[in-house]
Amino acid sequence: MADQLPRLNRIAHVGHCKRCLSGLPAAKTEVDASRLALAFYCIGSLDLLGVLETSVPEGEREEWRAWLWNQQTQGKYGSGFRPSPFITAHRRSPEPDQVEYTDYDTPHIIMTYTALLSLGILRDDFSTLDRPGIVKFLRACQRADGSFSIVPGSNESDLRTLYCAFAISSMLDDWSGINIPSALACIASCRTHEGGYGQEPRCEALGGTTYTALASLALLSAHTGQAEHLTQDEKDATIRWLIQNHNRAGGFCGRTGKDADACYCFWCGAALKILGAEDLVDTNALASFLASCQYRFGGISKAPGETSDPYHTYLSLAALSMYQPSAEFAGAQAESWKFGPLDPLLNAKEDTAAWIRTHAPQKA
Amino acid sequence: MSTETPDDEPLYANRSDWKDVEPLEQYEDINPLAPIFYTEEYKDATNYFRGIVKRGEKSPRVLDLTENIIRQNPAHYSAWQYRYETLLALLPSDNVASSPILEAEVRLMDELAVLFLKTYQVWHHRRLLVALTRKPKRELDFIRKGLEADAKNYHTWSYRQWLLGTFGGRGANVTDAEGGVEDVDEDLWIGELDFVDTMLAQDVRNNSAWHHRFFVVWGCGVREGDEDRERVLKRELTYVKQNISLAPSNPSAWNYLRGVLTHTRTPFSAVADFALPYAYPRGAYHVKDVVDLENPSPSDTAQLPCVQAMEFMADVWEREGGEEKTEQAVKMWTSLANEHDTIRKKYWEHRIREAHLALKGQKRAA
Repeated sequence: MADQLPRLNRIAHVGHCKRCLSGLPAAKTEVDASRLALAFYCIGSLDLLGVLETSVPEGEREEWRAWLWNQQTQGKYGSGFRPSPFITAHRRSPEPDQVEYTDYDTPHIIMTYTALLSLGILRDDFSTLDRPGIVKFLRACQRADGSFSIVPGSNESDLRTLYCAFAISSMLDDWSGINIPSALACIASCRTHEGGYGQEPRCEALGGTTYTALASLALLSAHTGQAEHLTQDEKDATIRWLIQNHNRAGGFCGRTGKDADACYCFWCGAALKILGAEDLVDTNALASFLASCQYRFGGISKAPGETSDPYHTYLSLAALSMYQPSAEFAGAQAESWKFGPLDPLLNAKEDTAAWIRTHAPQKA
Repeated sequence: MSTETPDDEPLYANRSDWKDVEPLEQYEDINPLAPIFYTEEYKDATNYFRGIVKRGEKSPRVLDLTENIIRQNPAHYSAWQYRYETLLALLPSDNVASSPILEAEVRLMDELAVLFLKTYQVWHHRRLLVALTRKPKRELDFIRKGLEADAKNYHTWSYRQWLLGTFGGRGANVTDAEGGVEDVDEDLWIGELDFVDTMLAQDVRNNSAWHHRFFVVWGCGVREGDEDRERVLKRELTYVKQNISLAPSNPSAWNYLRGVLTHTRTPFSAVADFALPYAYPRGAYHVKDVVDLENPSPSDTAQLPCVQAMEFMADVWEREGGEEKTEQAVKMWTSLANEHDTIRKKYWEHRIREAHLALKGQKRAA
């Protein structure tokens, strides 16, 4: 490759995330039911870019923490975090602080995972975390087939939500909310002939859910000390399929034969790292691809020429935190491509992951 | 059923038939993160939705209200959930499957599925409905049409696999909390292989269709007439070889081939004769003039060598082991790394290292 990397436009990406945190246009109304996750992608991007403390005043970060805690709710299925108050009615008369949620305003398992990460990034001490309530909530989300639903009672369940249950249990260092054998059977039933994992049993191999399957198994191994859930042949087949998704564009696609997409640079890249195969990625090609996904008004988009969003921005930066272009290739722009190390299992900066593991578990 | 956009309708706040409901504003007590600047229409509808939820009302007008919200925000899972519960409350206690309310709901979902193809909730709601109608056959036809709009849509394919797995008998031993597995219908599978053929005829690189074929043939029980597995294996090998001969550089087809061999514990070397001519440049490998139906040759226009065939042959040789075969494999990987598949250079070099290590191990053991 003769031409070198352009600059990673960090300042513009910071601007994109801050703009989204301050407000979204009506065209983004679909985010209503997952606002906390969007907030995580923004706060997480600022963390990866290393500007959280320098560019966001402490007072503002305190407000962010307060809003996040405001989403923790209690009720008959236990405790957790909701996406936003989008179903919660304004209270006309002063009522006690802790009003129990209704059946339509329960915590959400993906939001609970992203809330814990966001609070860790903001270095919260987790003193108001309802740990037993969260364990109870996980129990309420697990279904007969071992998978987890997004909210208790819903039929929307897949490997994404199963990963959230595993990550939350790992962060709390309390696995009593999960029926582990049944969850492991669910993961195994999602494995496909290609070596990846589908979103639910019987489905096509997909980069994102392959990450969630492998990260779940690795989180569990770290907890039990039992090393292997996969045979060497199975691992080899998965590595082969993941690396096959590393395509000529330099990025990764999420399914065989599809176009490269910035988010799969993380999902497939992190999956490879979990399997100990991080040396197999062409980091310079990856950086070139992500450079071409930069949107001119800030943020990173799924592919060149598309508009950016916090999801693709965060996952691209997380991918770069694992896969750094060589100093020679980055040339004069090398400084703009530098990131601190990432914990691929929790999907957070290593120091953030360490903070969560220290502060989120119940103190003895 | 309304086909107007919400903009054309009066706000619920101005409708006399909603006067009895107290609208409830969204709770917002604290400086919010990433607030959405809602439209008046969305605010209005969700205010009334909160009011309805508080009353616990489950009446026909709730169907109107939740449809309105869903059209503005199809990811509003609470509106979907409440809508489903309202439907259940409105359905008669017997003959549920032929209720006009349910039929109207299915028709509405036919429309919304196309509008919001990529929204999870549309598809999950549909699963709940078909568990009530118990008419999976009609759904297969609906999916076929849906794939005309987007032939690789993940949700659409997942839904088809769920339908077959849940209602299709035999292989339908996957327990489903809401699906139930009574009323199994073996006939459901009858058209599946033809369906895959049609999809692959449109695009032989459609990996979703290849995956579906694997699911139908190998992944979910044994179909009637397919009990002779040797014959099925032969049929599938012929099928995939023919497709490869038409378009050799198709990773989906090669992955299918590898999947079938691994699943049936057939050694890769069993198809080495077929793969070999695809692994070399045109003219470098002598192709027999006789037409061999078992091993169709690359077409005259095929781009050779084919990366996937090179990889496959290297695997065959590596598995055979020994110094000579390993060196043959290493030669192939070297050519992939340096010339034919440079993006994966590091992977091919890794394979070379691993093979050399294994060879040392073999020598030591010998």
